[in-house]
Amino acid sequence: MTDNHNNDKSLPEQEGLDPTINQEEAPSENQPHSQAKSPDSNQKSDQNKEMDQTFDQETNNDLKEGNETQQQAPSPENPPNNSELPTQNQPTESDKEKAKKKAAAAAKAKAAAKAKAAEKATSAKAEKTEEEEELPSYNQPLLNKYVEVIKEHLGEDVIEEAYINRLSKHVPTIVTTPEAYYSVAQFLKYNEQLGFDFLSDYHGTDFETHYELYAHLYSLLNHQSIALKVKLDHEHPSIESLAQLWEGANWPECEAYDLLGIEFRNHPSLHRIFLGEEWKGYPLRKDYQPYDEEV
Amino acid sequence: MLRTEEMLLNVGPQHPSTHGVFRLVVKIDGEIIKEAKPVIGYLHRGTEKIAEDLQYTQIIPYTDRMDYLSAMTNNYVICHAVETMMDLEIPERAEYLRVLSMELGRVASHLVWFGTYLLDIGAVSPFLYAFREREAIINLLTELSGARLTFNYMRIGGVKWDAPEGWLDRVREFVPYMREQLQGYHDFVTGNEIFHQRVKGVGTYTRDDAINYSLSGANLRCTGVEWDLRKHESYSIYDRFQFDVITRQEGDALSRYHCRMGEIEESLKIIEQAVEQCPEEGKILAKVPKVVKPPKGEAYVRIESPRGEIGCYIASQGKKEPYRLKFRRPSFYNLQILPKLLEGENMANLITILGGVDIVLGEVDG
Amino acid sequence: MKGIGKGLAYTLKNMSKKQMTYTYPDEPIPMPDRFRGIQKFYPEKCIVCNQCSNICPTDCIDLTEKKHPDPSVKRKIIDTFDINFEICILCDLCTEVCPTEAIIMTNTFELAEYSRDELFKNLEWLDENEDNTREENKA
Ligand code: SF4
Ligand code: SF4
Repeated sequence: MTDNHNNDKSLPEQEGLDPTINQEEAPSENQPHSQAKSPDSNQKSDQNKEMDQTFDQETNNDLKEGNETQQQAPSPENPPNNSELPTQNQPTESDKEKAKKKAAAAAKAKAAAKAKAAEKATSAKAEKTEEEEELPSYNQPLLNKYVEVIKEHLGEDVIEEAYINRLSKHVPTIVTTPEAYYSVAQFLKYNEQLGFDFLSDYHGTDFETHYELYAHLYSLLNHQSIALKVKLDHEHPSIESLAQLWEGANWPECEAYDLLGIEFRNHPSLHRIFLGEEWKGYPLRKDYQPYDEEV
Repeated sequence: MLRTEEMLLNVGPQHPSTHGVFRLVVKIDGEIIKEAKPVIGYLHRGTEKIAEDLQYTQIIPYTDRMDYLSAMTNNYVICHAVETMMDLEIPERAEYLRVLSMELGRVASHLVWFGTYLLDIGAVSPFLYAFREREAIINLLTELSGARLTFNYMRIGGVKWDAPEGWLDRVREFVPYMREQLQGYHDFVTGNEIFHQRVKGVGTYTRDDAINYSLSGANLRCTGVEWDLRKHESYSIYDRFQFDVITRQEGDALSRYHCRMGEIEESLKIIEQAVEQCPEEGKILAKVPKVVKPPKGEAYVRIESPRGEIGCYIASQGKKEPYRLKFRRPSFYNLQILPKLLEGENMANLITILGGVDIVLGEVDG
Repeated sequence: MKGIGKGLAYTLKNMSKKQMTYTYPDEPIPMPDRFRGIQKFYPEKCIVCNQCSNICPTDCIDLTEKKHPDPSVKRKIIDTFDINFEICILCDLCTEVCPTEAIIMTNTFELAEYSRDELFKNLEWLDENEDNTREENKA
């Protein structure tokens, strides 16, 4: 209703929500927190660099790269009340609160870019020296715990890889060997410490060198997520079905079979769920040739 | 004792009560269903394959066509996935507009469900009332986005349009109006004895079944699982609003009805608060590069759509097209439990159970 | 029986309310200004930058360019411009990217034809389609 109300409501929460702003406003105070979040892997800072570069070049190859015009384009189409115009970000009202709020809002986007640039500059040295050991994610302890429990019960070599996927809200990700896939999944579901009882998503991907199955599991008990992955041979992708563990895996497996040609052993009724049994080829494979190129 | 023999019956693919092109092969013995086999894929358009050749912005209009009753949440899920990968900061006002449009969409979607479900089980007039209110929402969303169903409103990093003049006020006025109508529906339907006889104790499943079958949304909450991503895995700005997660214990069709009707009420609460909190003005689009290129890697995000958990998985190679795009479509998962529910049921309950699952075939088939 | 009685009362109460239905084919439905209907094209504004046909998710814009009739002018002008409305999904992306507003959306949405071929709209047709242009785009 009123701006005061807005401020009260949103500002404190913003701080919690949004580490970048914190970093810019109070980098020293917030050191441990921002550090935990900031380096976000080298990959990400590269990305930022790339973003910035794109920005610079953009004006030049605007026309060449016939692509989407976001707001930077000189297009009169954007409605005037679209307050990206710098003039509107100036504090025109005498009301201090309001001006403050606006400034905060305007600074926000800038802050994101700036904070990252600054952060990159300051942390560049640090990153260089500790390139190998990037700062652990807040989910790292969880991942360590999962890996430890799994290794303890199922043996050392069932896990091919375990890492935090920072791009995906820091979800702990475990890659198992195809042989141990079923037992790991079973373990994740029934172990009372882990209790991943809800299968949120299950699908396959063709990565050309191999197929990959991705299962996003969730524990309604502990409110934790885990991504379970397995890499399959590209010649004859075949794996134990999870449908005995989660009934909900039944159709997704049919879908992966239908569109990717991954075979699931011991599946109750594996069939081509969308395209029908007569369909030739597996459309989501990268080497799929549509029967009729033109239509 | 009457002697009966087994018979194969095809329900659909074109049958109004299947809400789209959905076929159900049922084996019946007299009135009792022995076995039911859903056949889907009639509306499979290969969205995921098409998306592999498209830029991220171009994919957004395609997502409109998956769950065409709540296109806003679909728009949001892909934007959210890309934004999560790129670690983008969304301007305040854009977030509020997104929440408003998504919640309005949720109310509209539940209204369609309410109307068509009652139509399925034989009550014609609630459908007309529900569509009257839905029309008001559609008009609001048309004003905002320029289309009635396929909004294509969100963009990576924000939304396409700012709210037109007076739009927020009209939304504000809509809330009490809708509350009043909702009360009317409760008078009209909720206490009706015939309705109760049709739905009470029909299509019951337990909490464990619901989790095992990966059900989500009202289908899960009707068994007492308190699980709403808006609350428990909060995305966007949902943590700023006060609302309850409606749960029921019974797990039958009536409890699903109550959950959904309760959710309309909760959405109205969110809309009310969002209108109040929404900043007067501000940017509606974050600073994004013109060609959106998420970093190399993969991400899976999920949000709460009216039908349940809608997820989006992106595997990116750092190019402007996704390497692999996958939608976790709630209707597809929710429908899996149908054969189990139908077994041993009365033929007349088939439609009650199918309707209660609340499927959108565009979403089932992808 | 109480519930049914209550329901009937609700129905009766609604009978006296204002009619909510549209009499659509007889009366046109007013659409808000942002409504995304069939495009209007201004050939003279187009600079043949190809952005619209590149962004189109369904690839339904076909355009060709030709030399400017006046040889002293370097820039190209539009020669043909076709939109295939069989597959256009009226998503608004083409009008969003166009740098010169040469293509805009109108409020016209009636597209029914007896033959599919008639859904190919060419430059002239799109140029003449100007009955319902948006307020802000009136040129
Ligand atoms: S509205 Fe969309 S589909 Fe139609 S021509 Fe424009 S970009 Fe293509
Ligand atoms: S984007 Fe606009 S100026 Fe460029 S070719 Fe298309 S209509 Fe012409």
